[in-house]
Amino acid sequence: MEPVILGLVLGGLYALLAQSFVLTFITTKTLNFAVGEFVALGAFATIAVSSWSWLPSFGRVAVGFLAASVVGALAYRFIVLPFTTQGEHDTRWLLSTVALSFVMLNLITNVEGPSPQRSGTARLGGSVDVLGVGVSKQQLLLAVLAVVISLILIVVSQRTSIGLVMRAVSQDPETTSLMGISPRLVGMGAYAVAMGLAGLAGVLYAATVGASPVMGAPLLVASIAVAVIGGLGSLWGPLLGGALYGVLSEVASFQYGAIWGETAGLLLVIAVLVWKPEGLLGRRMEVKL
Amino acid sequence: MSTIEKSPPTSAAAPEPQRPRSHVRSALRGDVLFAVVAFGVAVLAILPGRDGAGTSISTMQLVASMAAMTVAAVGLNLLVGYTKLVSLGQGGFYAIGAYASAYLTLDVGLPPLLAILGALTLCGAIGAVVAVSSMRLRGPQFAVITLVLAVLVERILNEGNAFGRLAGYPNYAEHDTTSMEPVSVFGITFRPPMIAGEVATVMVPIVVVTVLVLIIARNIAKSPWGSSLSAIGESEMLAAHLGVNVFRRKISVFVLASVLGGLGGVIVTQAFAHLQPETFDIYLTITIVLAVVFGGSGTILGPLVGAVAIVWLEQSDILAEIGSFQQENISDTWYLSTSGLVGVLFILTLFLMPRGIVGTAGQLLATVMHSRAAGPDAASAELTAGAAADQRAEDGAAAATTSTGQHARVERPPAASGPDTAEPMLRISGLSKNFGGLRAVAEMDLAVDGGQIHAIIGPNGAGKSTLANLLTGVYQPTEGTVTFLGRDLTGQAPHHVSRAGVARTFQTPQLFHDATVRANVLAGFADTGRTPLWAAALKPPGRYRRDAEMRAEADRLLDLVGLGDVAELRASELPYGKQRSLEIARALAGEPQLIVLDEPAAGLLATESVVLGDLLLSLRAEGFALVVVEHHMDLVARIADQVTCMDQGRLLARGTPSEVLSDEAVVAAYLGKPHEEGTH
Repeated sequence: MEPVILGLVLGGLYALLAQSFVLTFITTKTLNFAVGEFVALGAFATIAVSSWSWLPSFGRVAVGFLAASVVGALAYRFIVLPFTTQGEHDTRWLLSTVALSFVMLNLITNVEGPSPQRSGTARLGGSVDVLGVGVSKQQLLLAVLAVVISLILIVVSQRTSIGLVMRAVSQDPETTSLMGISPRLVGMGAYAVAMGLAGLAGVLYAATVGASPVMGAPLLVASIAVAVIGGLGSLWGPLLGGALYGVLSEVASFQYGAIWGETAGLLLVIAVLVWKPEGLLGRRMEVKL
Repeated sequence: MSTIEKSPPTSAAAPEPQRPRSHVRSALRGDVLFAVVAFGVAVLAILPGRDGAGTSISTMQLVASMAAMTVAAVGLNLLVGYTKLVSLGQGGFYAIGAYASAYLTLDVGLPPLLAILGALTLCGAIGAVVAVSSMRLRGPQFAVITLVLAVLVERILNEGNAFGRLAGYPNYAEHDTTSMEPVSVFGITFRPPMIAGEVATVMVPIVVVTVLVLIIARNIAKSPWGSSLSAIGESEMLAAHLGVNVFRRKISVFVLASVLGGLGGVIVTQAFAHLQPETFDIYLTITIVLAVVFGGSGTILGPLVGAVAIVWLEQSDILAEIGSFQQENISDTWYLSTSGLVGVLFILTLFLMPRGIVGTAGQLLATVMHSRAAGPDAASAELTAGAAADQRAEDGAAAATTSTGQHARVERPPAASGPDTAEPMLRISGLSKNFGGLRAVAEMDLAVDGGQIHAIIGPNGAGKSTLANLLTGVYQPTEGTVTFLGRDLTGQAPHHVSRAGVARTFQTPQLFHDATVRANVLAGFADTGRTPLWAAALKPPGRYRRDAEMRAEADRLLDLVGLGDVAELRASELPYGKQRSLEIARALAGEPQLIVLDEPAAGLLATESVVLGDLLLSLRAEGFALVVVEHHMDLVARIADQVTCMDQGRLLARGTPSEVLSDEAVVAAYLGKPHEEGTH
């Protein structure tokens, strides 16, 4: 039971980050491979303002969110968008975001130094009892937040005009622009929210493990795996994917050792892609001739 | 067509017997020259280490790193550059190759050469598993699955106890040494560049292997096998229609790339005799991608140039100096060091030099040559002359037909020889296709014979294109059968249909836009789907002859469709109507017996449409069977022997053009009652 609960809680963190992949994918058909660095960016931005005693801790968390979100919007405009111009087979954005991740990681390391820094903002001490298993409050917060944010995103995308615009842009940017909507602005908005979420996850995660430039790298692979398992086109996907990935990797590492935990999770990705390339909750696109 | 009229037969026919042999000779000369230069450069590269001077050790290590990176990048280029599959997993295979060859030697105790062979086999096997599981994926999903592999390998190497973890491999705790024994074969010991005064003999096989890999990759890239990769990169559906078994070919190219990635790792093991897990990280896998993109993806020398440049940049002091320059002049903390600068370089390459060093240089060279030879002027003059001639051709349909018949012969397809001579070449019976609740095609019958043009007309959404797609295997029929030359083709994949002798053209021309007009036709030959990998790699003498034959045949087909004078232009430079002619020439290259043309006159000028009609009539005269899906009634009325009119997936009317076009139901379908704009 214990690994299952812990897996679900851990899956929450991955799901939150996976949500940022899904968000950019359903609007712009791109993924930001530099998400890990936005996690670190959010964490360090919050630490930078942690001495501002006049700012309530909610405000400090917001700084982390906003810093990542502003850089995210700019990254879309200048690093992603110029490399999506050659139709749907154009994958240059993939390489440019990987390169962006190198640059950001290097810059953050040079500025902040490689060793982890303590972050006291939004830290919840202690643990609570969930079905007889002790779970740290901080991790539980992340998991609950992942669920709440996913639900908010789903409601927004299905019930509001913003959601309609998002879905329209993802289906046919050209026609949408004829309707007076700028796909570029929508893309920047999606990146702002998505990277803001990554920054937020970074702030909350750093409160447990400390902030370090490389803190996002291990999260990148896990969260991208979660997003792919659930289906890159589905906002429900990260919740299902996070739960499956988290539980499987916790159970496997509990039974066979840490290295098998990660391996099992990644093998799950391969299995899902073989069985359903569009992900468990994704919808298959028919190719037209 | 018009160009054929203009050019006297002699100009095409006179040099004909000479041409193939001179092509063989010039191809052979090119290949020998490439090999000689490559080996020459290789010798120059390892010359500083000939006496084993201590000062040459770092140079030799640099050369070895470059060689390893080159081999891995050449493999990746086949995937990224030609097949357009972005793999982030090449570093994983590199690591597997390095560690497996070391492990099989030290811990399993295999003889070194066998261990290397085993490591490469392992890479190929893992590559095959990854390929089979990811073949339905494209773009980001494919990148993710390969990235997952690279990460998995990195974790296992960093955390698996068998590989010594941070102590490296081999290490004192397990093997009582930190470096592997040099390989000995036939009494020759191949020493790594490590100890001053000892000649680094291993450098010889390293550069020889690298040069051989380059030669093989070049052969492959220039072979029909290579064009099948480009075809897959352009459109998998197109590749399948050219007779390529896309699934198998993608697996082959992935396995090949994996083996080459592993070979890069083997070189590292042999050159450094010790492995550290942290050198095989994500950074490595991205560096290999960068080497390909920076050097020029989809070019033969690109991976070499890119790998040499990147390794040199990383090992030299330049990047470090740029880093400290920033520290002194801009900020002590806000600066970029090596990995960040590599990232910046990557982004700048994508912005400024998307074709990479080699691609950009090639482009510049081509522009210079072009303007010097006044190539474009001549070509465009030819095109305008062609258009003017098109005008004249309007009234001389019969003349054009005869003139094509005279000197631009089409390979006459063997007479339809089914088991039963009464059986038509193509017979479709009871064919239906449902898309969910929509019945796109319902119980269609169709029979077409050689030397016949069968036109299919109908309002938008009638199911014409769906019928064409059912015929060539794009869709699986819900029910009904397709028989061609007595063979059952029902539900066969497009490459089977293509190989059976059915070619097709598409509603919007699907061409290789960056390739020359001639290369487009060359891709249409059955060789694209049938050449085995070994033949593409080793280029046996027969290949030279066949290449020359294909080239001559391609030029003949280009003459036939009136593109003989623009063979060297890029396909995208052709006007729309000529692109359609080019598609027909490519279809003919596959020596089909039946050609399915999906709206060949769509978007053509009236004059172009007349020329197209002439061409189709001449093909009919040669014995081809043609199924033409078309909207232009004047064209249909002129060329068709039989017309089938479809409406809402069903047969509405059938008969001679005049019968069908005067049929009341047909007129009503087009004009009488409003129709929803459907898909087609």
